[in-house]
Amino acid sequence: MQVPEYDLIIIGSGPAGMAAAVTSRGQGLKVLVLDEQPTAGGQIYRNIEHLELHRNPEFKKLGRDYSEASGLVKRFKNCGADYLSGMTVWQIEKELVVRVVHNSPGQDKKSPLSFKAKKILIAVGAMERPMPIPGWTLPGVMACTAVDVLYKSAGIVPKGTVVLAGAGPLLLLIATRLLDAGVKISALLNTNPQNALLKALPHLPSALRTPEYLVKGAGMLLKLRTSGVPIHFGIRSIEAQGKENLNRVRFVSSKGTQTVDADLLLLHQGVVPNVQITRLLGCEHQWYESQRYWEPVLDEWGNTSVPGIAVAGDCGRVSGSKVSELSGHIAALETARALGALSESKRDEQASSIRAELKKQQASRPFLDTLFEPQKSWIVPEDEATMVCRCEEVDVGEIRNTVRLGAHSPDRVKAMIRSGMGFCQGRMCALTLSEIIADELKISPADVGYLRVRSPIKPVTLGQLVSSE
Amino acid sequence: MFKKLPQNGEKVSIDFEGKRLETVTGQTVAAALLGSGEMLFRESAVTGQPRSVYCMMGVCFECLLEIDGKPNQQSCMILVQEGMKIRRQQRPIMENHASA
Amino acid sequence: MNSIQTDTIVIGGGIIGVSLAYGLIKHGSSVILLDREDQNLTASRANFGLVWVQSKGYGMPRYAEWCIEATDHWPVFSESLEEETGSKLNYENTGGFEICLGEEELAARVKFIEDMRMQSRNGQYEVSMLSRDELQKMLPKIALGNDVSGASFCRHDGIVDPLNLLRTFYQGFQKRGGDYRPGHWVEDIQKDGSGFLVKTPKQHFRAQKLVIASGLATTKLSNMVGMAVPVSPQKGQVLVTERTSKLFPFATGGIRQNANGNFMFGASHEDTGIEIGTSTDILKVLVSRALRIFPVLENLQLVRTWAGLRVLTPDQKPVYCESEEFPGAFAVTSHSGVSLASLHSDKLPEWILEGKIFPDFDVFHPRRFNV
Repeated sequence: MQVPEYDLIIIGSGPAGMAAAVTSRGQGLKVLVLDEQPTAGGQIYRNIEHLELHRNPEFKKLGRDYSEASGLVKRFKNCGADYLSGMTVWQIEKELVVRVVHNSPGQDKKSPLSFKAKKILIAVGAMERPMPIPGWTLPGVMACTAVDVLYKSAGIVPKGTVVLAGAGPLLLLIATRLLDAGVKISALLNTNPQNALLKALPHLPSALRTPEYLVKGAGMLLKLRTSGVPIHFGIRSIEAQGKENLNRVRFVSSKGTQTVDADLLLLHQGVVPNVQITRLLGCEHQWYESQRYWEPVLDEWGNTSVPGIAVAGDCGRVSGSKVSELSGHIAALETARALGALSESKRDEQASSIRAELKKQQASRPFLDTLFEPQKSWIVPEDEATMVCRCEEVDVGEIRNTVRLGAHSPDRVKAMIRSGMGFCQGRMCALTLSEIIADELKISPADVGYLRVRSPIKPVTLGQLVSSE
Repeated sequence: MFKKLPQNGEKVSIDFEGKRLETVTGQTVAAALLGSGEMLFRESAVTGQPRSVYCMMGVCFECLLEIDGKPNQQSCMILVQEGMKIRRQQRPIMENHASA
Repeated sequence: MNSIQTDTIVIGGGIIGVSLAYGLIKHGSSVILLDREDQNLTASRANFGLVWVQSKGYGMPRYAEWCIEATDHWPVFSESLEEETGSKLNYENTGGFEICLGEEELAARVKFIEDMRMQSRNGQYEVSMLSRDELQKMLPKIALGNDVSGASFCRHDGIVDPLNLLRTFYQGFQKRGGDYRPGHWVEDIQKDGSGFLVKTPKQHFRAQKLVIASGLATTKLSNMVGMAVPVSPQKGQVLVTERTSKLFPFATGGIRQNANGNFMFGASHEDTGIEIGTSTDILKVLVSRALRIFPVLENLQLVRTWAGLRVLTPDQKPVYCESEEFPGAFAVTSHSGVSLASLHSDKLPEWILEGKIFPDFDVFHPRRFNV
């Protein structure tokens, strides 16, 4: 099969990807959007079209953001970009060839599996920061956003008693959504330090430029308080207990040790950029100390250090759906300029109003980022038997011992004890691994580095590999 | 554990470990199983621990299942199809398992 | 800068350096092992883990004998290393195949094996040819593809987990009090009385003996102590699949299944200079061949790819030499670091520490490249 060529290939159809598609199509570019999820909207607006059409009362409950996003999805669907969903990118070559596979079986012969681009925009969003605690591999312990995905994509909600643990705006949001859906929350273990609000206060004036976020946040807190959910503060440790399934959650708070029964434990420690593709492509990354993650180094238009590769949205820096959408527009304008479809002055002119809005939308970030600053104690587990690499079952103690053996980088540790060698290809352990090595050597993760990412960034069968064009 | 809210969509039935489960089109295999009350998805590859869905968005690879005879399929990314035969992912059989 | 004194300095933390360092300390020497910054090209981490005889030593019978001696010593060596460290190497003396596709490859293999037998000086070279049917009988759990025409088989060959081996050497070295210094890039080596002064930006070291086992840096470092050891890089790409049940309990040149159940496919031979990227076109070539041998593997999922640089001398055979200008300085390089690890640990220290002369060992001197 011939390899189809595009001006721009966008990976991801969340707010950033959809916005970029709309704007780049507006400049007459030939655009392809690839997404591994079955529907457009990203994780934040997952399954939004179906929700609006078939579950309208629930859709309305999700708030104004959703009705706005629904408009964006409609514009995206009508913009004339080719859109292929349910397709996973497993390799991008320097010549800007993107290789994909279909997720669902029996689809391979229906469309080409390689595409060539003049420019590539990576808009794959963020992922939850892994929160390794003892017992977190037990069935019944899940990432907090997993229940949100289940609710929105499948109309499935938790049954029985639910414990939430961690910190961050998403934890509060999901807690309130669960209450709305009639789910019983038996405890909320707030791991945020008690002085966090005090620390964040200096950033409050700036955050007041977008009061709607603060109002929303206050509303969620109020709802939690009035619903009678027991909120525990000063959490020092959390352990998931059970044999075949989670049964109990044991935690130590400022009030001592407690154990609560639980059918589901939802963990959340903020979100971090999904850097698998930018790492694969060898883009330069930097350590963002305040949020303790790596992000690709970008210029003001979203260009990475690798020619032809740009980034928009949360996979550049976690900033939320509005900022992501705006950064998608900006990256698309720059792409149009680079391909000669738009003059530099026109690009700047069109970008200036977007930038003004962008600045406003970013105003609350310093407040939120300080309020929910990631705590090292929840990233580097104290208990040495805590699993770090869930795939290859490597714990904290083994990693520390290997560092003491002289393995001072993630790749060396990986080569010795297989952490990061499993199916998830390091997505679930790479950050923790770097943090533990840094902790053991008493240096910054910035100086430790990150696991080397190579293709395939998602598994592909040998048959699919040899038949790729 | 999970429960289903009223479902929209065309009815689909799938086979999980010999049991017939009813679900609807547009759902992922992982969601269909969880919605039917199934929690145990697989044995971990190294020591055979029980494992289940963790992230639901294609990151963690905990939801691996054997689907229509193919092992280690990422069930949160695969949509249900009528008649799909699904089994828990077992740990591969190695002669030297005790020492693995 | 103050310096740290030891008996022997080994430069290079790859499989050759650490196997020598471990062996030297076991033979009573105090050892400092210097290793460079981590973003390096260590071939040891892209290794396939074959303990391999059957294709080695063509044109140099002494090397073939050395390989046979090494593989025959592997069982004793691995048992003692495992016992000392409590780690598993997953070494198995399975015997190994070179599987042929089509009649032309088979004929070439028959001739190669015959040539190897002819050059053998003591009749130790025990490699036999198997028909396709005989091969299939030895592999009851995996069907051969239609193109498979036969194979050569050598009982000496085996497999080991190369990453476990590397780790276990480090454990053994540390356990015996070895001093491993990662992040030490050697800038200069000077004569220092009857010994050597080795300079890194962080620290200076002094020792009576010096062993250079520095992979691609061997040429440069050996030059500092009067040895000319030419080496050049050759890229090899490797693929690793998901785990599956044990189907193929043997070694071959391009396909193996490790103790965890992952299949590995390798390895390409590319002259791309100092560069360790993987490329889809090369990976396709490797996998296409593997699938012609075992078509049933086509549904296995590829989980990882890797690439490393082989360290090759002009004739691809090892170099063992002591500097004539600066006695006490040694250079060791080979791209059979795993197969030869048993002798590098248990035998070479006698040469380095006690000056023991092995028969015909001089054939490994790099002066052979000067003719």
